[in-house]
Amino acid sequence: MANNPMQQFTVHKIGPEIKIAGIDLSFTNSSLFMLISATTILLLLFLGSKDKKIIPNKIQLIAELFYTFVAKMISDTAGSKAKPYFPFIFSLFMFVLFCNMVGMLPYSFTVTSHIIVTLIMALFIFIAVTIIGFIKHGFKYLSIFVPSGVPSVLLPLITIIEIISYLSRPVSLSVRLFANMMAGHTMLKVFGGFVVSLGILGGWLPLSFSVALTGLEILVAFLQAYVFAILTCIYLNDALNLHH
Amino acid sequence: MPEDFKTRLKIAKSKIKNQFEDDKEKRGSFMGNAFKLGTELVAAVLVGTIIGFILDTWFDTKPWLIIIFFFLGAAAGMLNVIRAANRMQKKED
Repeated sequence: MANNPMQQFTVHKIGPEIKIAGIDLSFTNSSLFMLISATTILLLLFLGSKDKKIIPNKIQLIAELFYTFVAKMISDTAGSKAKPYFPFIFSLFMFVLFCNMVGMLPYSFTVTSHIIVTLIMALFIFIAVTIIGFIKHGFKYLSIFVPSGVPSVLLPLITIIEIISYLSRPVSLSVRLFANMMAGHTMLKVFGGFVVSLGILGGWLPLSFSVALTGLEILVAFLQAYVFAILTCIYLNDALNLHH
Repeated sequence: MPEDFKTRLKIAKSKIKNQFEDDKEKRGSFMGNAFKLGTELVAAVLVGTIIGFILDTWFDTKPWLIIIFFFLGAAAGMLNVIRAANRMQKKED
């Protein structure tokens, strides 16, 4: 069991099997860790905003740090028009970040290392951004597929390329997060396996690698949440401010 | 007097802000960008190929559209990479 580096990614049911209209809705370890991350976020923000002091205590400081970080990210990339979407991007960033970070704890399960989770989030963003674009601009939104200053001979070709580029957004968004998380965790497990198999004599080298990789993984966990959120902002910016 | 204090506070705040953000943001975005470009290219090729495959089964033109759309996907991927690189450059200025 300990030798298989992919074993950590198996989803198994916790408790009874729940089936509604032929769809399996059982509670799994994946749902458990999503719940843990969501509860942690709620707890942190609740405690952080409970008593607002001018000189903040540690929890309030962390909560405010997250708030200003996301607020600044949105105003930098998408401008003031994106202010109404702050709650969505903030929850998205916090959820991805905490799923990644909770996944770094030993014996835990990384929710974001499954492509179905990241793909659903990316597809939701993609569809939402498209709908927002159509609401704000009507059929003029289709002009993002037609860049200005292109000779009319090349226009059909460029339009097809632009459409493919647009459709590739959710794929690149989801694959990036999922691949980074899965590769990192597999690598950690492989090096952990080396430590065990090489024993007390040769195990020190992979152990030091493991320590370094853990640091790197924490960086990647934060960075991927950041990239996920900032790309959402960029896509939102394209939909809100049409300029091509 | 209170006005004066407010302006002073504002100036001090903006100073601190600039100092902090400069190096923290640059380092973060470099790493993020490095991870971003690879998937950007691959995803577009993948999407192009899938579209080609679907259209092929619709129109019954087996190998042709998948070949054409593979190359269109590669072009779209390069477009994505160029856009992402442009975005990076803009951020640095």
